[in-house]
Amino acid sequence: MSQSDVSLRHKAPGKKDDMAHSVIDRTIERFTRRVASYSSRRSLLGRVGAWVTFGALIPTLPVERASAAQPAKPKFKAPTPFSANAQTTDATACNYWRYCAIDGFLCASCGGGVHSCPPGTSPSPTSWIGTCFNPGDGQSYLVAYRDCCGQDACSQPMCVGTEGDQPSYRPQANNDIIWCFGTGALIYNCSTSVIVGNAS
Amino acid sequence: MRYSTALRSGTAAFVLGMVVLGASSVASVKAWADEPVVQEEESDIIKLSPVTPHRILVQDTAGTHAKDGRVYVVDADKGKLLGMVQAAYNGNVVQDPKGRAFYVAETVWSRGNRGDRLDLLPAYDPQTLTITNDEVLPGRALVTPKKNDLAINQDGSRVYIFSMVPTNAVHVIDTATHTVSQTVDLPGCALAYPWGKDGFTSICADGSLANVSLNGSKAEVTHTKPFFDPEKDAVFEHSPTRRSDGKTWFISYSGLVYPTALSSDSKVEAPWSLQEAAGMQKAPAAEAPFAKTWRPGGWQLSALHYASGHMFVLMHEGTFWTHKKAGTEIWELDTATHKLVRRIPLPAPATMVGVTQDEEPLLFTNDNEGDLFIWDMTSGKLLRKMPHLGDDLYFTVALGE
Repeated sequence: MSQSDVSLRHKAPGKKDDMAHSVIDRTIERFTRRVASYSSRRSLLGRVGAWVTFGALIPTLPVERASAAQPAKPKFKAPTPFSANAQTTDATACNYWRYCAIDGFLCASCGGGVHSCPPGTSPSPTSWIGTCFNPGDGQSYLVAYRDCCGQDACSQPMCVGTEGDQPSYRPQANNDIIWCFGTGALIYNCSTSVIVGNAS
Repeated sequence: MRYSTALRSGTAAFVLGMVVLGASSVASVKAWADEPVVQEEESDIIKLSPVTPHRILVQDTAGTHAKDGRVYVVDADKGKLLGMVQAAYNGNVVQDPKGRAFYVAETVWSRGNRGDRLDLLPAYDPQTLTITNDEVLPGRALVTPKKNDLAINQDGSRVYIFSMVPTNAVHVIDTATHTVSQTVDLPGCALAYPWGKDGFTSICADGSLANVSLNGSKAEVTHTKPFFDPEKDAVFEHSPTRRSDGKTWFISYSGLVYPTALSSDSKVEAPWSLQEAAGMQKAPAAEAPFAKTWRPGGWQLSALHYASGHMFVLMHEGTFWTHKKAGTEIWELDTATHKLVRRIPLPAPATMVGVTQDEEPLLFTNDNEGDLFIWDMTSGKLLRKMPHLGDDLYFTVALGE
């Protein structure tokens, strides 16, 4: 717009210049009159007052708190690479702190929960054990990875946590074994992670 | 002179034209004569030739629908699928050393996902891919397939099956009679690394080995002292064994290689380091979990070419406890000199490496798309790729391995 004004000024001074001015004048005048007709000094005062009163609450809104908490300086020193990147809020993501040694499909993404089997499956009474660090409280916990069994693989995105994972000649710490012993059918659906003790 | 030359060349062109025309018309008549007359046909079945060194078996776990596991039969020279057989639920496969049969360990339930469990060891004719015997097993370990949960001895007369039900044991199958000749209880130990005709070794939870000598229906078990700490630097189950003499190279998570002569009295040598073989510093183990360096990792992460003694290990850059991470390079190492021969960068990270045992060996790798990559082992060059051969290619089995 301003460029065309400039070119107008240069190429054809006089009549066209006056016309351009008058268009701007008229537009601004129309706008000013419209504002004046729809508002009063009182309403202006009211709006300003409202901003002063409620604007003070803006810093307390959740979005503000989240960003204030963001400075990602962890409260506790993570003992392992997995725990250094772990989070404590989303149990459907592979970096959820309890999944440090999980291997398979997350029951939390398969209709179950972090320690719950999806309907139609049953939990195995046997499991392998991991030791995971909770970045929320700085404690390490013993986690039993109990498989839910009876339906074929749930097939939601796979998570492979390998911290402390040892080969199958150390079955108590191995996540490759189909841990469905003691259930009706040994077919694997998904894995839960159940806190069974504090390891700190 | 000029005229006569032109005349002569014109005549020559005419004659040549006639010849070409004649030839093409003969060809077209011949083509017409060769056109098959469409007639009734009968169904038949392809029969394969006897097994060759470059005809491999490829195990596909199909992890997202594990009941549908299978084993592909592949012509690696042509990159062609020749056939397949089922290998249900974390199935495993071994091949007779002379290629006379292959055996699939699998598990099914009478009603699909429920009902009576049946553990099976079908023996397959490698030319017709038909079952010659469908043996019922007393049990087998259900675990994401690792080669050494199933093994075969040097002359193909015995198959070893690792089982965990009700306790750790290895079932010894007589392949002539298709019966369990004995079950060897191995409390606290797992897997079977075959040596020669009459023995195998298992790895135990304390970092020692259990050596099993088979004499008729008797088994004698001896134990070595622990030689590694499983909590700090465990050795991979996928370490390669040369079955003929039982020489095994146990590779640890950190990258130590323990040359071991398996026998009734297994001898473990002092370890050497993969990283030192490549001119780097030895990698730390669990005591320094954040240390980032080149490390071995994947699933079937190693393979050995018996004749040359060259070992192939999938390597990636990572911290400790990344032992299942796919390799971005293959390191080729000479097991005699403990030196790196070559680093082969991969087009896609691989969890599996395999090798054939002939004099013009091929290497195999996978990726997470189910592609099979076929390499010339001698030059280290990629020859061809079979796109999406399957879902989860876990390992290959080649003749004589």
